[in-house]
Amino acid sequence: MNIAVQHATGKKANKLQSTRIAGKLVNDYWEMVWRAKEEGKLICWYEGSAINPFLEAAGICWVHGEAYSAMLAARHQEAKAQQVAEERGYMRELCSYARTHLGCAVSNQRLRGDGAGAAPDDDDLTWKLPAPDMIISAYAYCSTGQQWDEMTSRIFGKKVPIFNVSIPWIWGSKPDSGYLQGQEWEETSDYVTRQLHEMIAFIEKQTGKPYPWDRLYELMADIKRASELRLEAMDLCTAQPAPASFFDWVVSIAPINNLPVAGVKDYFETVLAEVKARVASGEGAVPDERYRLFFDGIMNWNKVGWLANKFANYDAAVIAGRYTHMAFWQEPNLIDPNAPVRGMAQNFLICPNNHSSPILIKLIMDLCRKFEVDGMVIHASRTCRAFTNPQFLIAETAHRELGIPTSMFEGDVTDESFYKDEILNSRVEAMLEAIDSRRIAGAA
Amino acid sequence: MKRYVMGIDFGSTTAKTVILDLKGKRVAHAVAHMGAVSGDGVKASIKMALDQAGLTQADMGRTVSTGYGRRMLDMADKNYTEITCHARGAVAMVPGARLVIDIGGQDSKVIAVDDNGLVAQFAMNDRCAAGTGKFLEVLARAVEVDLDKLGELALGAREKLKISSMCATFAETEVISLLAEGHPKTDVMGAVHAAIAARTLGLVGRVGKKGPVVMTGGVARNPAAVHYIEQALDMPLILPELPQIAGALGAALIGLDDYRAEYKHQITEAEDMAREEQMAEDKACIPGCRGVPELAVDPREKQPAPRAGGLKSLLSTLQNNL
Repeated sequence: MNIAVQHATGKKANKLQSTRIAGKLVNDYWEMVWRAKEEGKLICWYEGSAINPFLEAAGICWVHGEAYSAMLAARHQEAKAQQVAEERGYMRELCSYARTHLGCAVSNQRLRGDGAGAAPDDDDLTWKLPAPDMIISAYAYCSTGQQWDEMTSRIFGKKVPIFNVSIPWIWGSKPDSGYLQGQEWEETSDYVTRQLHEMIAFIEKQTGKPYPWDRLYELMADIKRASELRLEAMDLCTAQPAPASFFDWVVSIAPINNLPVAGVKDYFETVLAEVKARVASGEGAVPDERYRLFFDGIMNWNKVGWLANKFANYDAAVIAGRYTHMAFWQEPNLIDPNAPVRGMAQNFLICPNNHSSPILIKLIMDLCRKFEVDGMVIHASRTCRAFTNPQFLIAETAHRELGIPTSMFEGDVTDESFYKDEILNSRVEAMLEAIDSRRIAGAA
Repeated sequence: MKRYVMGIDFGSTTAKTVILDLKGKRVAHAVAHMGAVSGDGVKASIKMALDQAGLTQADMGRTVSTGYGRRMLDMADKNYTEITCHARGAVAMVPGARLVIDIGGQDSKVIAVDDNGLVAQFAMNDRCAAGTGKFLEVLARAVEVDLDKLGELALGAREKLKISSMCATFAETEVISLLAEGHPKTDVMGAVHAAIAARTLGLVGRVGKKGPVVMTGGVARNPAAVHYIEQALDMPLILPELPQIAGALGAALIGLDDYRAEYKHQITEAEDMAREEQMAEDKACIPGCRGVPELAVDPREKQPAPRAGGLKSLLSTLQNNL
């Protein structure tokens, strides 16, 4: 038996070159946000569901809380915001997306709002977010989401109007229930659709203008097409070696989820072209693909590139994940660009945490089969229990139904202090050793 | 060609070394207590084993390391995780084992082993020293009892108390509170061990409960930990003679396979047959092993006896009498 995992070979992930464009799009977007107040735009803060096309169509500048926290973490500038939030009294176990974002809200009030703070440092991004003129709370599954919005409202003196969209959990317990089907699905779709129309009335009240529906139709036509391109590129990763990795799709979340729609379709056209070229030439996302893995869990945003290289160094192609493949306009066929609201509601409803476990787990197992994975890495996020709740069930089902080993490590979305490198190393290496020993046993 | 292989488990608080000959027979083993991942500690462990066997490092055909410090050893040809090595060592020590509970200094792990002795699934403590040897060490200090005496003390517990926190620091606070309320040390330490057992049961639940169960690691030498875990699992634990060396033994066995595969044309017939016999006997996790592992079922998991007077009972009686 010779199943040693090789270390320190210095292999790096072969990232898609086109994802560099995403970096520029992200930077341009946040620059736009930081100067929005000076340009006289209305600002809406929201978390969770991608309601940004509704806002973009109405000319409102949108600030997605998780996106800002993730961006700070990716730039390793999250610690100050988290410290400010803790000083304010938000405990360390609170969702670190929320904690980071609330730290930014507190900083904004100290430096821009009440003038009680020190002079702002232009390189410090914690205070730069423009204060909200409105808050829209539209969060599927996550109970922290609404409390986060309420806390934000308090920080801004309870003066900001809030609109709440309730997105119910899909129980999947009725006889005709299933993914995108059944009475419950239709009823919840109608319920959220009605609320989104009420939300539009709220937006009209804030802007003082009739809602520009035609503009929304244009945006949603582009999003639908961008989503189709993204899914087509993802599907091509059934090729061996896989031309792109889970980490490429992580980097591509912002374009599909919260950036201005202009440019998103072009971005995914470029990504798809590169993926096709890689398939044609047999170029893989890791230099030597020996293992194909599924990633269950939300991203460690301060570790994206680092994790991509770590897995590449293990010759492990992390191909698909719940976070990337089961979210972010993942059902474009539901969107009718000429009447998009119901399809948008339905895409909000199928946030990957919002299904009952049987539906969720079946979708994950289907992805594992489709991409022919050898094992599953599970990231249990310390402060996002919404995502971690079903993970033992997922691991148990993967073992029972697919016969693949799983490996769970604890980390966090944006709080690096919860991540321990050796914890991940031991668990992933043990899983890869188990895969190797099974292969040798199978060949004997 | 050399005649020996070495396995080193460079753990967090102890270093263990095992030397095997090419037949797979253990010729030396050593356990050295040390500070955290101490280079001096592991050197002491290696020297003790080499001295015991009357050998030098140059006599080793393969050296395989495992444990927290596995990558720090220059003399190791390869390194493997504790999961792989503990499973391998435990199954070699207890043939037919299907579940390995290993509680060491810094981590506790439960490994499910499949029919072929391969790692099927595993679970480890995630965040801290919850349920580990370190946890016991901290609490032993709190009650001013030697770690070696802790188990005996806890076995004398009469009243069931509860320690709810698995954080060593907070648990210490709970222990102090219970002592301040006048509860005897025996009962408090019983509660501490029950807490470890509950934590272990949670890990077992994640990989699936099945037997026979073997317990390895330093905490396996603590009779109260064994007692409370058996009680929580409602299954007996099989304790190897030297539970602490399971990881080092597994590492040595992996090294032995590797070395034998490379030099198989130079291995004597006698050595080859001796090794084959041992492989068949231990049904260890060796791909290509000749022995076909039996389905190990814990006696308590066997089918329930037919209900008296029922149809199955009647059929059973008829069959037995035919």
